[in-house]
Amino acid sequence: MIHILSNQETREILSKLKEQFGIKEIPGKLIKIGKEKIYLFNGDFSEEQIENLEKITFIEKTGVYIGAIFLPTDEIRLSIEGTQIFKDQITKNIFEINNEQLENWMFGRELNIKTGLRGIIAIKHQDDFLGCGKASENKIGNFIPKSRRLRSKAV
Amino acid sequence: MKKINPKPEFLEKMKKLLSQADFEKYERIIQEPLLNSIRCNTLKISPEELKKRLEEKGWKISQPWKEHPEIMIVGNELQPGELGRSIEHLLGYYYIQELASMLSIIALAPKQNELILDLCASPGSKTTQMASQMKNTGTIIANDVNIKRIQILASNLERCGVTNTIITRDDGIRLCEKFKLQDLKFDKILLDAPCSGEGTMRSSPKTCLMWNQNTIKSLSKLQKKLFKNAFEILKPNGEIVYSTCTHAPEENEEVVDFALKEFKDKIKIEEIKLPVKCRPGLIEWTSDFAKYPPRSKFEKSERGRELGNKYNEKVKFCARIYPQDNNSEGFFVAKFRRVK
Repeated sequence: MIHILSNQETREILSKLKEQFGIKEIPGKLIKIGKEKIYLFNGDFSEEQIENLEKITFIEKTGVYIGAIFLPTDEIRLSIEGTQIFKDQITKNIFEINNEQLENWMFGRELNIKTGLRGIIAIKHQDDFLGCGKASENKIGNFIPKSRRLRSKAV
Repeated sequence: MKKINPKPEFLEKMKKLLSQADFEKYERIIQEPLLNSIRCNTLKISPEELKKRLEEKGWKISQPWKEHPEIMIVGNELQPGELGRSIEHLLGYYYIQELASMLSIIALAPKQNELILDLCASPGSKTTQMASQMKNTGTIIANDVNIKRIQILASNLERCGVTNTIITRDDGIRLCEKFKLQDLKFDKILLDAPCSGEGTMRSSPKTCLMWNQNTIKSLSKLQKKLFKNAFEILKPNGEIVYSTCTHAPEENEEVVDFALKEFKDKIKIEEIKLPVKCRPGLIEWTSDFAKYPPRSKFEKSERGRELGNKYNEKVKFCARIYPQDNNSEGFFVAKFRRVK
C-alpha cells in the first residue's frame, strides 16, 4: 500500500534532512513504503489519481528511492539518487574521498579512515555524490547496494 | 564474436524483403559486432560534461546525430561488459542502448508536462529516454506484465533518477480496458510491442534458435489487440507510436493496416522523420502462413489478410530500419494521431 506523506509528515522528514545535511526544500511528493523506505515523486499525478490507479491495478513503484530511515538512530540515509537530487542543497556532513577510496567505496567496502564525523554522512568524490555512509571513529560503513557496486576493476 | 546462424526459413523470408544486393549486405552485417552506443542521461549530467569525462578515460566519443547530442558512440574496442563497469554507468550518467532502439522516442517526441503511457516498458531504455526528454515533469505510467522484467525496469529507472514515473504490473490489454472504464486518457502512448526480435540477432544470437512462424502469428494477434486497446485510451489529438525490433511484416505493416481499417476516420498515420536511413513500410506482402493449413476458425477468417495481401497505401509512412543501412539493429516504427 502506497502512503503519500501528508504535509506534516513531509515537514518532519525535511526537518531531519535539514538537521543532517542542510537540505531546505523537497522537490516533489514523498512516498513511504513500509517503515523505512522513502521515495520522491514529482509527476503531475495527484494523490487522488494515484489512489484511483491503485484501485484498478498493481502499483510496483512510484518515483525514485531517495533514502531510508536508519532505524537505530532515526537518521535519514540518502541513496545515491537521494544525494544526487539534493546535491545543490547538501551543505553539512559531507566527506570527500580520493581516487583510491572511490574504487573501494564503489566495490562496496567500508573505508578505514578517520573522518572526525559521526553518524550518517554524504560521500562525495570531486563533483559526484555517491550516497551515504555511516561514520564511526575509525571507519565509514558502506551502504552501496549490490546492483550498483563495481564487480571488477573500474574503467 | 559468435557466428550468427539464422534458420533457413528466416533467411528465405529476408530474401523476399530485400533485393539480392541488400540481402548480401544484410548477411554480412549481422556477423559483425554492434557499435557501442550509449545515451547520456540528461537528468543527471549534460552531454558535454559526460563526453569530456569519458574522453578523459581514453574513450573515443562521437555524437552521430547533430540534433541529439545525448546519443554517443564509443569508438574504442571494449572488453565485454566494459561499458557497464564504468563509474559513470553505475552513477546513472548514461544508459547503454542500441541506436535503433532510441528511434521510437525520437518519433514520439515526448514533451514536458504530458501524461504518457509506456505499455510494455521493461527493461526501461525507452522510459528513461522519455523521462529525460520530459525533464522529469508530467507523468509516465510504465507498465509491464512480468515481475522479473519489472525488477529490471525499476532498477534502471532508479539508476537514472527518474522521478515522474509510476510503475504498474498488469496485462497490457487489461490495463487499457481498466483505464477506459476510468476514462483516463493519455497525451501519448508508446506501444513498443512484444515481438519476435528478428532485428536483434546481432546482440542476442539466441533469437535465431527461438525464431518460428507460429510465434510470429500469435504475436501478430497479440500486437493487434494491444494496439486496439491502447488507441482507445488516447486523448483527442493524442499520439501513439507503435514499434517493434523485428522485420516480420505480420508484426509490423499488418498491424498498422489493421489499425487503419479498425479505426478508419478516427486515426491518421503520421510521417516521421528519423535521423537514420529508413525504408518505407511495405504495401504488399504474401505471408508464408499461406503455405500451411489453418489451425483454427480465427486463422481461417484471417487468411484474407495473408494471401497476396495488399495493405493500405498509407502504410508506406512507417519506417523500416535495416541493420545493413545504418550498422544498427533492425527496427520498425509507426506513428499515429487520434483525430476524433
